[in-house]
Amino acid sequence: MTTALETPETQVTPDSGRRTASVLALAAFEARQLALQIPMVVLGLLYLAYVGYQLAGRDEGMAAYPVLHDTDRATQGGPMLLCVALLACVHRAALLNRRRGVEEQFSVLVMSAPRRTLAHALSVVPFAVGVGLVVGVQFGWAASRPGAVGHGSLAELAVAPLTVLLSGAVGVLLARALPHAATPVLFVIALAVVVTLLGGVTGGAHGVEWLWPTVQENGGTPVPGDLLGRPAAWHALYLTGLTVLVAGVAVLVAGGRTRALKAVTAVALAATVAGVAGQTPGPSAALQAARKAEAEHPQRFQTCVDRDGSRYCAYPDWTGWTADWARVVRRVRAGAGGEAATARLTVRQRIEAVTDLTTDATLPTSPVHGTVTVGTQWGGNRVPEFAVGVARVLVAGSERTAESMCDARTITTLWLALATDPAPEDTFRHLRIDDSLSGGAAVLTPDGGSMGVTAQQTQVVRELLHAPRAVITSRVRAGWADLTSPGTTTAEAARLLGVKVPKGADDCASG
Amino acid sequence: MTTTVAAAGLTVRHGSTRALDGVALRLTDGVTGLLGPNGAGKTTLLKVLATAVPPDSGSFTAHGEDPATPAGRLALRRTLGYLPQTPGFHPDFTAFEFVDYVAVLKELTGRAERHREVRRVLDQVGLADVRGRRLKRLSGGMRQRVALAAALVGDPAFLVLDEPTVHLDPEQRMRFRELIAQAGESRTVLLSTHQTEDVAMLCHHVIVLAGGRVRFDGTPAELTARAAGRVWSSAERAPGARAGWRTGTGAFRNVGDPPPGADLLEPTLEDGYLLVLDEETAEAAA
Repeated sequence: MTTALETPETQVTPDSGRRTASVLALAAFEARQLALQIPMVVLGLLYLAYVGYQLAGRDEGMAAYPVLHDTDRATQGGPMLLCVALLACVHRAALLNRRRGVEEQFSVLVMSAPRRTLAHALSVVPFAVGVGLVVGVQFGWAASRPGAVGHGSLAELAVAPLTVLLSGAVGVLLARALPHAATPVLFVIALAVVVTLLGGVTGGAHGVEWLWPTVQENGGTPVPGDLLGRPAAWHALYLTGLTVLVAGVAVLVAGGRTRALKAVTAVALAATVAGVAGQTPGPSAALQAARKAEAEHPQRFQTCVDRDGSRYCAYPDWTGWTADWARVVRRVRAGAGGEAATARLTVRQRIEAVTDLTTDATLPTSPVHGTVTVGTQWGGNRVPEFAVGVARVLVAGSERTAESMCDARTITTLWLALATDPAPEDTFRHLRIDDSLSGGAAVLTPDGGSMGVTAQQTQVVRELLHAPRAVITSRVRAGWADLTSPGTTTAEAARLLGVKVPKGADDCASG
Repeated sequence: MTTTVAAAGLTVRHGSTRALDGVALRLTDGVTGLLGPNGAGKTTLLKVLATAVPPDSGSFTAHGEDPATPAGRLALRRTLGYLPQTPGFHPDFTAFEFVDYVAVLKELTGRAERHREVRRVLDQVGLADVRGRRLKRLSGGMRQRVALAAALVGDPAFLVLDEPTVHLDPEQRMRFRELIAQAGESRTVLLSTHQTEDVAMLCHHVIVLAGGRVRFDGTPAELTARAAGRVWSSAERAPGARAGWRTGTGAFRNVGDPPPGADLLEPTLEDGYLLVLDEETAEAAA
C-alpha cells in the first residue's frame, strides 16, 4: 500500500467562472452512466435494429419510392420505447444519491442540488443527439432514393429527439417531486389511462390528440404536402417549451431560485401555451376546402407532361414519377391490338377527398374515356395494380365501363397487365386479395378498388401465362375485337386464344 | 500558528435538546482530535463545520469564508473535504468512477486534469490497483479508503473526518492513521473519534466535547496533564476512584483523587479524557 502523500502534480482549482462547465461535466458523467444501464442498452439496440431493418428493406417495393412529407413523421414512433426506458433510467439516476444515502454527504460539495438536477436533465442530450442522427440517417436515406418525392419538415424530424429530451426531463421532475422508485411505472400507467380516457371522452379531438408527443396519423394514402395541415411547427414549439418547462420546474423543486431560472421557466410556459394554442384548432375550413378542391378537380393543380403519345398529369410533388408510369403504359400497350395499341391515354393522379390523414378510401372510378387513375404511392404492388388500371382502360375504354366487366375483357386485361411482367404468376397472386392462384377473387386496381375475376378467368389467365408469350400476344392482337367485346364469354376467349376451356359458366358474383 | 477555522457560540437545537450549546473553537493546520462520548454533539459539530447543517445561532469561518452567506458557503465548500460517519456509496460504481463523480460535484471540470487528480488520490490512499473494481466488490476497509479519497480529491484545505476508523481492524486503522497524519501536514484536519490512542498518536490539538459543550481545548499533553497525580495503582479498587479497572498485572489502575501515599502512575491521554468527562458528569449532576 502506498501511504506517502504526494504533492499534486497539477493543482486542480475549481473556478467559479466554470460553473456551467461543471454542470456539463456532470451531465456527461451521468450520460455515460445512463448509457451503461441495461434497459438503455437493450432498447437502444432494438431501436437501431428496427431502423436498420427498415433501411435494409428500402431497396424495393413502395419504400423505394418514399413520399418525404410522410417519411419525416414516420421517424417519430421508433424511439418511443427508448424514451420510456430513458424516463425510468434518468429517474433512477436522479434518485441514486438519495437511495444510497449519500445525499447529505454530497450536499456539502460545491455543486448545488438545483445544478445537479439540471445536469440530470441535460444528461439525455447525447441520446437526443443520437436519436436525431438516426432520424437524419433515416430521412437522408429515403431522400437519397431516386424515386423519392415531396419535401420533409424539420419540425416533424425534430419530434423524436425532442421526445427524448422531454422523457428525460419528466424523469428528473418525477425524481424531485415524487422521489419513489415506483414512480415512473405508475406515471406511465397513469398516463396511458388518462390518454385512453381522454381519447374516449373527447372522441379523439384534435387538440387532445396533439398533446401527446408523437402524432403520426399514419394509415392513409399520401396527399400533397400542402394538404397535410399538420401543425408541425407549433407542435415542435410545444414540445420544446414543455421540455424546458418540465426541466425548469424540476430545478425549482430542487431549490433553484435564480432569476434566470424563473425567467426561462416562464418563457417555456409561454412557449408551451403558444404551442398548444397553435396546434389545437385542427384543419381549417380553407384547408378542408383545398383538400376537396384538389381531390375533385385535380387538373387545376397538376402539371402534365406528354410521353410516347400519352399524357401524364401529377401533383407538383409527384412529377418525378411520370417516367415510371410511362414505362408501364408502354409495356402494357405493347401487347394490345386494334386502336388500343396506339391509343392516347391520360394518366391522371388522383387523391381521396380526405378529412384527416388516416383516410384510406377507394377513389370513385373515372368515367372519362382513356383516362387512367394513378395514386400517390408507387413501387411494389402499386406497379402491377397500375398496369391492371392501364390495361382495363385499353380494353374497356374507361374505368367506369370496366367496372361491369365479367367476360373475355377481364382475361385480356389481366393478360396485358401480366404478360410482360418479370414474374407474372407471383404478381398475379399478389394482385389478388386472397393471394391465391385459384378460384374467384378480387384483383387490386390503382384507384384503391378492385376488379372481379372468376375462377374460370383465373384458370384461363394461368393457362395463358404458361403458354409462349409471343404466340398469345399475336392471338390477342388478332382477336382484339372479340377479346374486348362484352359479348365474348370466358370460354370463347379461351378458344380464341388456344388454351384449355374452363368448365362451367362464369360465376361473376364470386369475383 | 495561524487560525484557519474559528467558531463562536455555535448552537444547534433538536427540539428541546441542545446538540451544540455555544461551542467556540479555533483550529490551525494539522490534525485536531475531537473526543467525546456518544451523544456529545461531535457529529452535529462536524456537520455544522462541513456546512451540512446550519447552526441555530453562532457563527464560524473557515479559511476566511463565512458560510452564513451563500457566496461564503460556496467558497468554503470549495476548500472542504468531508468524510461522514457512515459514508454512502454507489455500489455499481468503480472506485475510480465514484471518486470521479465526487470530483465532478466539486467542480473539477477539465476531464484530463480531473482524472489525473482522481488517480492521484486513489494512489495516495493505496487503491491504485483496484480503481477499476466496483465498490460492491471491495472490503469495508477499502471502501472507507475510497471515501477518504473522495474527501481528499481536489486537495481541500479543510478536512472534516467523522470517526473514519470506527469499523476498521487494527491494521487498517494503523494505515488510516498514516494517511490522516500526512494529510494534516498541509491542511486543517478535524478528526472526530472515540479512539483516544488515535488522538494521542495523530493530533497536535484536542477538543473534548460533552453535552454539546467544549469541555477541554488544548494539546494532547495538556489533556494528559489533567490526570497528573490522579492515576494510581492499588491491589483492590479504590473507593474514591472515578474509574478503576484491573490490569493485566492483577493490580487495579484507578483514576480520580488518590488517597495519601498512593502509588502514582504515569497518566495517559485517556486518563485525562476520563477525568474531563467525569467533571462534566459531576457538573451536570450539580
